[in-house]
Amino acid sequence: MPPLIIAKGLSKSFFAGKETISVIDNLDLSIDEGRFACIVGPSGCGKTTLLKILCGLEKPTAGSMLIHGQPPDPKKQRFGVIFQEDSLLPWLNLLNNVKLGLELCHIDNAEEIAIKYIDLVGLEGFEKYFPHQISGGMKKRVAIARALAVDPEIILMDEPFADLDAQTRSMMQKELLSIWSKLNKTIAFITHNVDEAVFIGQSVYVLTKRPTKVKATVSIDIDHPRSRLSPPFISYREKILGMLQEEITSL
Amino acid sequence: MPKLDRFRSTLIGVASLATFVIIWQVVTMVANSPFLPTPVQVFEAFIKISTIGDIDGYTLWWHIGFSLYRVLLGFAVAIVTAVPLGILMGVKPVVKSVASPVTEIVRFIPPIAWIPLSIILFSGINRYIFLLWIGIFFPILLDTIAGVKRTSETQVNMAKTFGADNKAIIKKIIFPSALPEIMNGLRVGLGVGWMCIVAAEMMGGEPVGLGRLILKYANLLQIDVVVLGMVVIGLVGLAMNYLILSVERRLFKWRVEIKA
Ligand SMILES: Nc1ncnc2c1ncn2[C@@H]1O[C@H](COP(=O)(O)OP(=O)(O)OP(=O)(O)O)[C@@H](O)[C@H]1O
Ligand SMILES: [Mg+2]
Repeated sequence: MPPLIIAKGLSKSFFAGKETISVIDNLDLSIDEGRFACIVGPSGCGKTTLLKILCGLEKPTAGSMLIHGQPPDPKKQRFGVIFQEDSLLPWLNLLNNVKLGLELCHIDNAEEIAIKYIDLVGLEGFEKYFPHQISGGMKKRVAIARALAVDPEIILMDEPFADLDAQTRSMMQKELLSIWSKLNKTIAFITHNVDEAVFIGQSVYVLTKRPTKVKATVSIDIDHPRSRLSPPFISYREKILGMLQEEITSL
Repeated sequence: MPKLDRFRSTLIGVASLATFVIIWQVVTMVANSPFLPTPVQVFEAFIKISTIGDIDGYTLWWHIGFSLYRVLLGFAVAIVTAVPLGILMGVKPVVKSVASPVTEIVRFIPPIAWIPLSIILFSGINRYIFLLWIGIFFPILLDTIAGVKRTSETQVNMAKTFGADNKAIIKKIIFPSALPEIMNGLRVGLGVGWMCIVAAEMMGGEPVGLGRLILKYANLLQIDVVVLGMVVIGLVGLAMNYLILSVERRLFKWRVEIKA
């Protein structure tokens, strides 16, 4: 079977007045169906831009991004996107926030499904809370529940655990892995935390500095659950850290 | 606000009003002019007008009712015109660049300047509606545009990733985002409309309405009823403002708590 997601010669520039900012330059990448793909890259290299192209929010300036051979279009394909910033609606309670995604996708039984996914991310009993009444980690879980509830074909996550403390983060990583192994979805997970990428990803795509392209694709051949102390884990981590280091020092 | 603070500020408010009335009473008693009514005389006028009625037989409640009716009609027309236009202007830069050269000039023309034209263009209730609409429209329009601008791009993007079309994005994201500002515009607009009521009723032939009451008795040089009309306009304005504020507070509890 051909890969689900294929980017070929993908380039993206922004035009700000007279200036042209080249963010992605001739990037090639392919992700197989059902894979847990991690994308790591130096800060500001264009990871979020790549994610926006993946879900059709931005169009490539040149080259192509294809999913099932089609340009990404949320009106035709089902995406579950978890944004880097907080994207909950402050005027809706948690239940209605999760229901919103279902309603926008025109899915019936929104209430029932929303409750199910709120339970899945461990927020049972918080349905009537408003976003300002819960912690940052809980907000991320709501965003995850909202994205998963629509039964997306592809899940895109943009540094979802970046603002969490180390413990919550590690717990969320394990939960995400267990959710993924149950649902068997294709996930593109952006992070700049190499440890996180090696802990959860099946493949790690290392991006160069801006204008970015794929510097290397590393397949992590360790079964889940992984131990952070095992020699292969450490050697993968050191290898990827080394690649990123090159990018940062050559800035 | 803590309980004690609220109690104290109410107390201060009552004391301040009482002081004002006492000063008013003293000054008018000292001046002893037939054109400067004392608060007691204004209260007597209140009893008379609210029970027996004015020279045409209309009681104060009729005057309040008619003025409110006219203002609320103008208010309703202003809402259904200003909110959609404001959202369109906020969402579509093209609409804004077409509409704003006109609105930016027209909004500085006070309602009172429109009186001659509205007499020529309209008759009956439409005159009031037009004039009040002119006054109420712009606060709502400007606040709606400002509210739409505050919409978070991430929230719109989020909706798009669920396949939302423009209609759904406006309904589910942009309108609720802008609603606090829109409500503020409604409150300010209603206040402006209410302040225009005297001007609007100056041109009508009908004998009823608070503005009309004031004019009738100004012509008769019975200033106690004139002042009564003024006080009632102030009190009704206060009540309407309070009403919308309490709706706002209930509706936007999340917002108040975020700020706190
Ligand atoms: N709409 C835009 N207009 C102009 N420039 C943009 C736009 N979006 C992104 N950029 C530029 O593209 C570059 C990459 O941005 P992007 O958000 O994709 O980086 P990132 O890798 O996600 O960064 P971070 O690690 O901080 O999340 C930045 O230099 C940014 O200024
Ligand atoms: Mg980013």
